[in-house]
Amino acid sequence: MPNSSDSSAHSRRAFLRKTAIAAAGLTATPLLAETIKMPFANGDRDLVRYPQKRPMIRLTTRPPQLETPFAVFNEGVITPNDAFFVRYHLAGIPTSIDTDTFRVDIKGTVNNPLSLSLADLKKFDAKEVVAVLQCSGNSRGFVMPRVGGGQSGNGAMGNAKWKGVPLKTILAKAGLKADSKQVTFNGLDKPVVEKTPDFAKALDIDHATDGEVMIAYEMNGKELPVLNGFPVRLIVPGYYGTYWVKHVNDITVINDTLNNFWMNPAYRIPDNETASCDPGTAPKATVPINRYNVRSFLTSLQDGAQVKAGQTINLKGIAFDGGIGIREVVVSSNNGAWTQAKLGKDLGKYSFREWHAKWTPARPGNYTLRVRATNNSGQMQTEKPLWNPSGYMHNTIETTQIAVV
Amino acid sequence: MKNILIASILTIGLVASAKVVTIQLPVETGTYKQGDGVTLANAQCLTCHSADYASMQPPKPRDFWSAEVGKMKAKYAANIPDDQTNALVAYFAKNYGTDTGTTTTVHFDSTILDPQVIATKMGCLQCHNTDKKIIGPAYKDVALKYSKDPNAMDRVREQIVNGGSGKWGTVPMPPYGHALLTQEQIDALAKWVLSQKVQ
Repeated sequence: MPNSSDSSAHSRRAFLRKTAIAAAGLTATPLLAETIKMPFANGDRDLVRYPQKRPMIRLTTRPPQLETPFAVFNEGVITPNDAFFVRYHLAGIPTSIDTDTFRVDIKGTVNNPLSLSLADLKKFDAKEVVAVLQCSGNSRGFVMPRVGGGQSGNGAMGNAKWKGVPLKTILAKAGLKADSKQVTFNGLDKPVVEKTPDFAKALDIDHATDGEVMIAYEMNGKELPVLNGFPVRLIVPGYYGTYWVKHVNDITVINDTLNNFWMNPAYRIPDNETASCDPGTAPKATVPINRYNVRSFLTSLQDGAQVKAGQTINLKGIAFDGGIGIREVVVSSNNGAWTQAKLGKDLGKYSFREWHAKWTPARPGNYTLRVRATNNSGQMQTEKPLWNPSGYMHNTIETTQIAVV
Repeated sequence: MKNILIASILTIGLVASAKVVTIQLPVETGTYKQGDGVTLANAQCLTCHSADYASMQPPKPRDFWSAEVGKMKAKYAANIPDDQTNALVAYFAKNYGTDTGTTTTVHFDSTILDPQVIATKMGCLQCHNTDKKIIGPAYKDVALKYSKDPNAMDRVREQIVNGGSGKWGTVPMPPYGHALLTQEQIDALAKWVLSQKVQ
């Protein structure tokens, strides 16, 4: 196809978009014409409003993948429900949920299979945890060389206070048989084509019964938004989002290892300390993706921000890891010495940790600010980006370009 | 095309009663870029996901798209006929990738007149069933809707050629055009759809 057709298709789209916007003015529902350009190739995105959501960066329409606009992370360490990212795998998503008839079934290698209503779940002793939920492919758009998959910027993450029932409590009530090996989780979402593997995940029995994994029915003091897993989703603190099964209604204990598409070959990382391999190569062996590595971000200034020379700027940001806890955050300007940031209130080892630092750029010019976190085990973000074929676990030191005038 | 895009006026809804929480997703707006093979891409790929799954990918060579189409068939059970695979890969490599080589010309055997074979090979039956709604309406419901309409054949033919507006749901049917199917084949499909009886 000649390039001219391409550009005419583009201009036609642009025209029709304008037409649609004009038409939308006649309706009661707002249509946002805003677009955003992510800083990588093919990074044009629409900002779109979905049910129970403020305008979000749309990666895909069906099934929906919506990214949190990065400015939201400067509002506070808790990510509001209406700005929390959305990521589905299969387009058969539930759009109508009856909370009276909804049940979570616990079955498999248990002595007493259970079928719990939402009201039943709320009768158990509740637990709360503030925990980061991050997509395995968060920041995939920045992975070089680029790899296929959901092309997120840094907004496929969020931090919320989750309230629910420890899975341990429920499994104890069901009574695990001695040969139980894994617990599998399936939700209401379904594939479009019957033969497409349904999305289901598994945790080893020790992990599932550690008291931290839980079934949450509240997010930041409210019901979960439908697109975030209403009425209940699995919470797996410190672990990548792939395990946080939404709309979970089927918990099956097995005396085997789940080996479906979603556990193998999907969501696997190289079986080595850094979960990486040489760019463009395949790893020799893989394991299921598991805990978050350590990350930190500057949130108070975004790329291209302008500040005045000679003035002290209050820098603010967030840091987190997979549950060991943040020991230190340091910042540097133009590759100068690292200076210690002050850590904010500790909301728990699975939460975003706010940090603050002061910066006084003396002279005008272009500055590069860098921020680096280290956790309590001494693990820190890497100078050189690590690479794996799926573009998971990106955690290189973040840089922000600032114009000092 | 126009109808699909005009339908991009978003419907944002949330209905909650004491028992049932219902959301309404925005009507889908995009189809694949024009180009040789676009009919196949619309027919085979829009069943399971929107077109932005391709447009957001980084610029990549043909191998990348070959692996993607292969994964959809082998891992996601996409029912793409083997004789359409190369054409699909060529379409994506050229329109969404870095492949500037010659495009595979896409053909659909014009001697196939059995509507069920056409519907299977062109992906119709991935979204439609004769008896029940999948993504698109059941053919018997289409037949029922137009049972007293003297222009029924024209309406169904037009739907096949130009696609839909999302009147049966939030996922509009892609346009099939005249690039691959002959008028005779379109007629056969329309006639077959309208012949479905309500049990």
